[in-house]
Amino acid sequence: MARIHFNEWPLYSPSDQNKKENVLMVAKLMVNAALTAPFTGGVHGCEAEIAYGQKELEKIAREMERLAHEEQPKKLKKPFLYEAAMVRESDAIVFLGNFRARNTPMDASCGLCGGEPDCSFVYDRLPHFNGVVDPTDRRRKTTINGPLCMLRAHDLGYAVGSALWLASTHFVDAKPCYSVGLAGRNLDFCMDSEIVVGILLAVAAKNPYADIPPEYHLTNMNNLVDSLRKIAVITRQIPNHPYMIFDPTKPVEGRQEDKEE
Amino acid sequence: MAVYDGYEAANQHLLEVAKACAAAAAKAPLLTGKLGLRMEIVTGEDLEPMIEVLETLGKTSAFQLHDATAFRSYKEEGILPPILLLGADLTQPPMWNCGGCGFPTCGEYLEYVSRNKSVGIGAYGPSCLWKVIDFGIACDYACACAAQHKAEARILFSVGAVSLFLNRLEGCSFILGLPIGPVGQNRWFDRLPWTKVLGYEQRMMTQLAGAPNLFMAFSGGGKPILKTKPRWWEDPTFMKVETDEEFIAAEAEGQAEVYEKIMKLAGVLDDDEDDDS
Repeated sequence: MARIHFNEWPLYSPSDQNKKENVLMVAKLMVNAALTAPFTGGVHGCEAEIAYGQKELEKIAREMERLAHEEQPKKLKKPFLYEAAMVRESDAIVFLGNFRARNTPMDASCGLCGGEPDCSFVYDRLPHFNGVVDPTDRRRKTTINGPLCMLRAHDLGYAVGSALWLASTHFVDAKPCYSVGLAGRNLDFCMDSEIVVGILLAVAAKNPYADIPPEYHLTNMNNLVDSLRKIAVITRQIPNHPYMIFDPTKPVEGRQEDKEE
Repeated sequence: MAVYDGYEAANQHLLEVAKACAAAAAKAPLLTGKLGLRMEIVTGEDLEPMIEVLETLGKTSAFQLHDATAFRSYKEEGILPPILLLGADLTQPPMWNCGGCGFPTCGEYLEYVSRNKSVGIGAYGPSCLWKVIDFGIACDYACACAAQHKAEARILFSVGAVSLFLNRLEGCSFILGLPIGPVGQNRWFDRLPWTKVLGYEQRMMTQLAGAPNLFMAFSGGGKPILKTKPRWWEDPTFMKVETDEEFIAAEAEGQAEVYEKIMKLAGVLDDDEDDDS
């Protein structure tokens, strides 16, 4: 009989890797949940992609840190940095994007985009030919290339919601993030979509997305553990002794401490 | 000890499911962290004004008639389900300056909103992209909860829009309605009440208008025949694109009637002024 051992620690050890494979199964099922979520008119508009593995996640965390320092408003700097730390504690990421919000609006005159009883707000501001949007100019002046069909964007919420519901049903901690979605999109995850949400997934005794202390990008457990490794190595070099022939708990002739007694 | 009729008890249970759906929506994880979700469960006679306005809208629009027909029929059967209304003010951005709304910054967006906030056929706008997505997550949680309770449900734009116009959940820019029930099978999809409304010809016409190429003959000649009958090559039918003044006028008239109905229900207009209702 084969044995499969599971343990959340140390990260990326074989035991943790076994656990991560379970999370990957849930991530794939989350995609099913997202694809069957209720959408406006029942029309398919959602694409999904999964990031898995230490290096893949590290690349996403770094893009989030770049966004935090180079592109995002001050208000988002810390949230983006904190969430990058969360990426490194995650087992997998599910990206969900909506490819219709920019390129194929619902054309239903709902009013969400511009408050008008037609779709003029979007079509007056997008390149299009007789209502067929031209997606070929992908240059962005802003983080998101707006305006978008808000009814289609609303659909993305349902995809994310159903994916989250499935994760929570399987007791996998999940957190949907703007930052992760942006970084993923910039790295060509869900590359047909202008709007992408990244869902972080983790199985751990402590939900890594809750109870966040200040300066979390510096005070997270990875940094704590690394600092312990750094300090423990130096510290042990002071109380050193030849343990095979010497017991420091016994009195030593001529030792200052023993003379005082 | 007591014996309950299964269907009756199940239909009564739906109100409890609606409450569970509200609890689920309130617990939905969000991207912005502050949606300001508002909810209301509307039942029985309190649904009548909404159904009436939907019926009026249905005179010129199929999808609203589709829902109005179902509500009216379920009411006549005595199985009108509770409706969970979900709403939020989606015009308040989180100040992320993402550009998704079409403005370079949230400041410029808010400036535009302060001067131009207005309403479409079912929602106020312009809206903040991330609030719109967060509202979707919350609504999805309500839907998923209904599904997990094996309750019939379908999130409806139509009844939400009508509730918005009737000033329910005041201050919300967008409202959606989730009927929970009635108990049964595919109550909001293959609808039995709808069989009496739309004839076979109309159904086939809708199919034809939605996907004309399915019935299109050889197009290489430049003017393809539309196959509308078994011997389609005899006395052939062609497609013609035209503006329809008559329909445009009927639609405008329908809008005016809806407006009048809402004003009456809101008590702004007197009921006696009109005798054809």
